[in-house]
Amino acid sequence: MDIFVQILLNSLETGGIYALAALGIILIFRTSVTTNFAQGSISMFSAFLATIVLIRTGISPISAAIVGMIFALIIGVLVDFFVISRAQKVNPVSKQIITLGLIMIFLGLAPMLFGTDPLQFPRFVYGSYSFFGATISYNAIFNIVVGLALMGVLFFALQKTKWGLSVRATASNEVVARMMGIPTASVTRASWAIAAALGTLSALMLAPTNSVNLSMMDTVQVTALLACILGGFTSFYGAVIAAYLIGFASNLLSFYVSSIWSDSILYLLILTTILFKPTGLFGKKVIKKV
Amino acid sequence: MDNMPDKVLKVENLSIAFGGLKAVDNLSFDINEGEIFGLIGPNGAGKTTVFNCITQFYKPDNGDIYFRTNTGEVENLVGKKTHEIIGKGLVRTFQNIELIRELTVVENVMVGAHIEFKSSLFNQFFRLKKTRQEENRMRKRAEEILDHMGLSSIKDMLVAGQPYGVLKKIELARALMLNPKLIILDEPAAGLNDSETLSLVNIIKEIKTERNCSILLIEHDMKFVNGLCDRICAINFGKLLAIGTPGEIQENEQVQIAYLGKEDY
Amino acid sequence: MNNKLMNFYKSHKPYSQFILFGIILSLLPLLVSLGLVKYSLLTTVASILIYSIVALGLNLLLGYSGLISLGTAGFMGMGTYLTAFITADLGLPFELALIISVAVPMVIGVLTGLVSLRIEGYYLAIATLAISEILRKVFVEFDFITNGFSGKQAQYPKLLGFLQLDRNGTYILIVFFLILVMIMMHNLVNSHTGRALSTMRGSEAAASAMGINIYRHRLLSFAIAVSFSALGGVLYMHFVKYTYPNAWILMLSLNILAVIVIGGIRSISGTILGAFIVFGVPDLILKRLPIIGSIDGAAYIFNGLLIILVILFYPNGLINMRFDIQKNFNKLFRRGEDNNG
Repeated sequence: MDIFVQILLNSLETGGIYALAALGIILIFRTSVTTNFAQGSISMFSAFLATIVLIRTGISPISAAIVGMIFALIIGVLVDFFVISRAQKVNPVSKQIITLGLIMIFLGLAPMLFGTDPLQFPRFVYGSYSFFGATISYNAIFNIVVGLALMGVLFFALQKTKWGLSVRATASNEVVARMMGIPTASVTRASWAIAAALGTLSALMLAPTNSVNLSMMDTVQVTALLACILGGFTSFYGAVIAAYLIGFASNLLSFYVSSIWSDSILYLLILTTILFKPTGLFGKKVIKKV
Repeated sequence: MDNMPDKVLKVENLSIAFGGLKAVDNLSFDINEGEIFGLIGPNGAGKTTVFNCITQFYKPDNGDIYFRTNTGEVENLVGKKTHEIIGKGLVRTFQNIELIRELTVVENVMVGAHIEFKSSLFNQFFRLKKTRQEENRMRKRAEEILDHMGLSSIKDMLVAGQPYGVLKKIELARALMLNPKLIILDEPAAGLNDSETLSLVNIIKEIKTERNCSILLIEHDMKFVNGLCDRICAINFGKLLAIGTPGEIQENEQVQIAYLGKEDY
Repeated sequence: MNNKLMNFYKSHKPYSQFILFGIILSLLPLLVSLGLVKYSLLTTVASILIYSIVALGLNLLLGYSGLISLGTAGFMGMGTYLTAFITADLGLPFELALIISVAVPMVIGVLTGLVSLRIEGYYLAIATLAISEILRKVFVEFDFITNGFSGKQAQYPKLLGFLQLDRNGTYILIVFFLILVMIMMHNLVNSHTGRALSTMRGSEAAASAMGINIYRHRLLSFAIAVSFSALGGVLYMHFVKYTYPNAWILMLSLNILAVIVIGGIRSISGTILGAFIVFGVPDLILKRLPIIGSIDGAAYIFNGLLIILVILFYPNGLINMRFDIQKNFNKLFRRGEDNNG
């Protein structure tokens, strides 16, 4: 029982990390119809920035994270300004390839600026707590709470604010939204900025266990994309819920089956699930008009 | 089981709704062999939806679509996959011209006979005899059709950049490659000037007489329809208004009301 | 005028051009032995040619079917390990290894495609990304076959059981396969399956209406792409004679994608050009430059930037630049005439 609780608690943390990354991908997908494969690379890059700032200035990890997220916001805006906004007329496949090109740029820039050695990023909070026979670190609680809070704020904004309405309108139909006076270009720009920030936080939550290195976000990137598929690309909430489910399944598999193959089995499971439910667990079927 | 002697298509109680809105409501009509049949209605009447249901681009909620295939048998098209339809002898054209810009005119037309190409992948990779023979045969067939339409001069040019009226003819040529039993034309006269429309009318008449082919036209240009069709079905809001000869339709009060102020005929 | 130019470009280039290209490439070992070019140039060119083979398969998938695969490296890697295992460990003939090392990845590819192609196109990209990650794990963990991180070795191929190739011979073999693949691709594109793929890409509605089974054709182009990746892997293994898990990473898949995007989608010569740019420029030029050369990652940035610039400003790839150069040249020339007249 206590092992199960431990797994559950770990899953909330892992799930949160995946959910933040997935939310970024969904946000960009729904507002600019682009599958952002570069989410992981941009997050990794900003995580490096945050770590360098931490090392050079000695500020607390939480402050460094905030600085990192601000950097990410700026990077997101720059990427949208220089690249994405000019790619509006490009077909969806080419837009995806553009994000692949972005991966290459950031993966090339990172070692140039930060070197190839992994860096250490500490936990946000220290200490742990025993709970029904399981131990949970304060850091994990912090991550879980911050993750959920951030998502809560985002969902609240989506549902209740004018900006959120603009996002949902743009996501529903960009052309019509634009014609109705919604500043879709700004919406897209904001989405890229926010997605970058969310991904960066995800990376920094992951950093203590993984170290900050070039391939730190590889697994998260794949998992986040699969979470979007599993949850359905047509739904904001779906991806988040799917991410937590994946986090849970991943930890379960890791403990009970095999810690080496847990991810691989998970990927295969998700792909087979899609076979039966192509639009994802929460997605809606879209009929194409001819 | 032949419930439709001398008919090539029999639509029975066709219905489809999109999210609560009934786009087609219990529509029935049939098309005689060798007939030119018009489906008319104001914009939004559901014509293209009917059309997409027949060709299985949409799956209807209700109803049957009986078609006399090129083997002479009658089959219900409902439930068939979209790409299975052409094999039965039913071809369509598109309102928005769906030709492939990077292919030449003759190559586009050859695509119309895709299902008749039988050579294997290996054969194609190395352009062995079977592939070469097929390609020559189909190319000749395509060139003949294009010649008939007066398009020989452009057959090896890319489709990209051709004028709209020419594109419509090319699409029609593509539809003729398999000598279908029924061709469905989606707003064939849309965007054409008077001389192009006249040319199109002649081509369609020729198809009817020379190829023993029935034609279903979707249109809202009344002049075009009246001059060409043997019978017409008028619909509005997805429901049947009237079926009859052009003369009968013109006299029909309900049709007049639906069209009041919209078209002049 | 432009239409005619494009048409000429598109029309049936005789095989002789491809064969001529092959002959020219085959002269390279001679140049090396004459001391006219460096020994390492042969290695660079050989890898460029191998990546060209892989890229041609990917070109069919992306250029004609509009699908992205991110599993290219994984399938190439699979090809290397399989052929190494079969020739080095099992001692079986090269020809058998070739067939099996292409067939097995193709089957895995088909299984992946069966699942992901039923849905939207972008699922294939994500699914192949996942498969590639799984494969890399396999390369590390199945160390009884793969030797894990230490990597695996193989030898130059022995043809027909007795003709033992050396480095130059293997290079010629690579050239042979490249020209073969170029001819095969050219033929396929100009046959009914090639037209069906083009139609599918241009208009799914038209394709379905013309009886083209979209799902089946996507699966087919993906299977072909995977097979060519595996073929590239086999050739790589027998030329480089060494493979290891981290050679088969996402960056390689991206680089190969860059080859066709930059060089020219749907163009055979464009693919070759792209391969020389993506894999040649870093090795031949960038690494020699004073400051940039010593920086790791300059090549990635170069290629990534090039991808984005090409997509935004030159979507048909750099191979088509010559049409624009010709057009501008004509314009200049004509304007000169006007001034003189």
